Amino acid sequence: MRTERVGKYLIAVSAILVLLTTYLAIFYVPLPATSVRSANDILSSLDGNSITVVGFIVDLKVTPPPGLDASERINFTLADFSDYQRYRGAISDGVLEEGWWTVRPLDVLAFTGGWTGPYLGGILSNGTNVSVTGVVTAGAVGPNSAATGFHIGVSGSRNVDIGTSAAEFSIMTAPVAQKIFYFHMPSAWICYLAFFVTLLSSVFYLKTRNPKYDRWAFSAAELGVLFATLAILTGPIWAKQEWGVYWRWQDTKLTTTFVLWLVYIGYLMLRASMQEPGARARVAAVYGIVGFVTVPMSLLSSRIAPLLRSGHPQVIATSSGGLSPESGLTVGIAVVAFTVLFITMLIKRVEVAESEEELEELKREVGGEA
Amino acid sequence: MRAALILATKDLKIELRSKEVVSSMFLFSLLIVIAFRFAFAEAVDSGALSLEDLAASSLWICFSFATIVGMHTSFAKEKDRETLEGLMLCPVDRSALFLGKALSNLVLVFIVDLLSILFFGLFFAFDYDGHAVEVVGVALVGTVTLVLVGTLVAAISVNARAREVLLPILLIPLIAFSVIIPCVTATRNAIAGELTESVRDIVSIAGFALIFGAVGYLSFDYVLEG
Repeated sequence: MRTERVGKYLIAVSAILVLLTTYLAIFYVPLPATSVRSANDILSSLDGNSITVVGFIVDLKVTPPPGLDASERINFTLADFSDYQRYRGAISDGVLEEGWWTVRPLDVLAFTGGWTGPYLGGILSNGTNVSVTGVVTAGAVGPNSAATGFHIGVSGSRNVDIGTSAAEFSIMTAPVAQKIFYFHMPSAWICYLAFFVTLLSSVFYLKTRNPKYDRWAFSAAELGVLFATLAILTGPIWAKQEWGVYWRWQDTKLTTTFVLWLVYIGYLMLRASMQEPGARARVAAVYGIVGFVTVPMSLLSSRIAPLLRSGHPQVIATSSGGLSPESGLTVGIAVVAFTVLFITMLIKRVEVAESEEELEELKREVGGEA
Repeated sequence: MRAALILATKDLKIELRSKEVVSSMFLFSLLIVIAFRFAFAEAVDSGALSLEDLAASSLWICFSFATIVGMHTSFAKEKDRETLEGLMLCPVDRSALFLGKALSNLVLVFIVDLLSILFFGLFFAFDYDGHAVEVVGVALVGTVTLVLVGTLVAAISVNARAREVLLPILLIPLIAFSVIIPCVTATRNAIAGELTESVRDIVSIAGFALIFGAVGYLSFDYVLEG
């Protein structure tokens, strides 16, 4: 009786919090003007600075369409259109004068536009949203004409021009799909939390053999799979707009999370295919412990990105400024909302599991086949 | 430890007499090699796919699937012949059973590894660019991890209803990042004669061997009970 009343309050609180998160995400938080620099910023930034250029491909100068060969390498240089044409002209005429044009070689740290790695994959086309982040390795700033856009050099004579005007760079904001972040990140966090609950309950079960812990482990795993599914489904909505593709197998964060999801789907299948409750609880507890290996792999994969290649944004405590106050508040409320929601659902799920067991017990007492 | 050795010898003696597991594992892995030969015939002939890359990836697919076949028999046979109870009645630590089973499985899977490497070389007229020894070395390290986690998961799934299907479902996600990816990278580097580039991969494989070995050793008591 008492637990039911607590459950009612919790349901009300979590519903209000989730609605509040939705409201804040839609109406309160502005879209972040992430990593956007004006054209002049790019031209005047110092050597060794890390800069990011965001824009749309407006002119893909490729001779044999469509797209670019998988073997073509981008030699990343950022240049003002008009100066770059003069630069190329000077090279072909053999009158290369240093310090006259604006060509800035970049040591590239990240490139998004449906592609990772040093080679182009034939995905770029006119209209693709691209973003290049790199450290300026040399500043060859010459007489700076009014910047009209930027240019990425591709090996050979094929080139990619991004943006058309300085204004396009200075007003660029993240795509609307960025708002899904306020549901994506908390879902992912809850799935890690849920699997951690499964791990702890499994250990406690093996120590005490109290079936109570088995119910907690199972319920948490089921909810963890639910929230992991949510995280895996909401991610691509953002990725499609930001990266140009729904999914990237090259990205360790995405693949490790997918494997994590598979491990716990396996956990649920293992439970479903065993009938004897004692053996099921024991064996599932062991798999719940082994399977947890994949949680830190997924959790840390974007943190150790240089080791493992991940373009997935790091969320908590990054050096690059991080979240604006508004979005920090919304993320905070979203995490609290999802945590309360998870606790509520967990308590309810455990109650359902208890009732199921009682029902089995009753069936057995009546004498029918369970 | 002695008990583990005795159990492993028992398993290997049975295998030596029947040659049932190794032959089925080997045939299975041979079929995978042949399937790859046919599936990638055009890509290999036209040079779009290098033999080095094909070797690294298809060999590890062979090893992983052969392991699944072998692991399955390792416990399912004991269960079906009702000798599992006998094993469990032995007055030894369950952890010793885990080590013994892992040891005998390691020997069997490693034999299949060697045969697969040999037959891949013969079928594709490929001499591993003179680095066959390194390839075998990587296979041994990877197989240790594979067998440790495989033995544990096989014991977990042996009591389930759909154990044949369940074993790969439970095992493949666990070995995807711990074995397959680093082993394929290491094998490719080994063939290229740059095994020193893969020190991190090997360390990570060995690290997972430690984790899975420790979890198996400590929890086997609970897996085989009742």
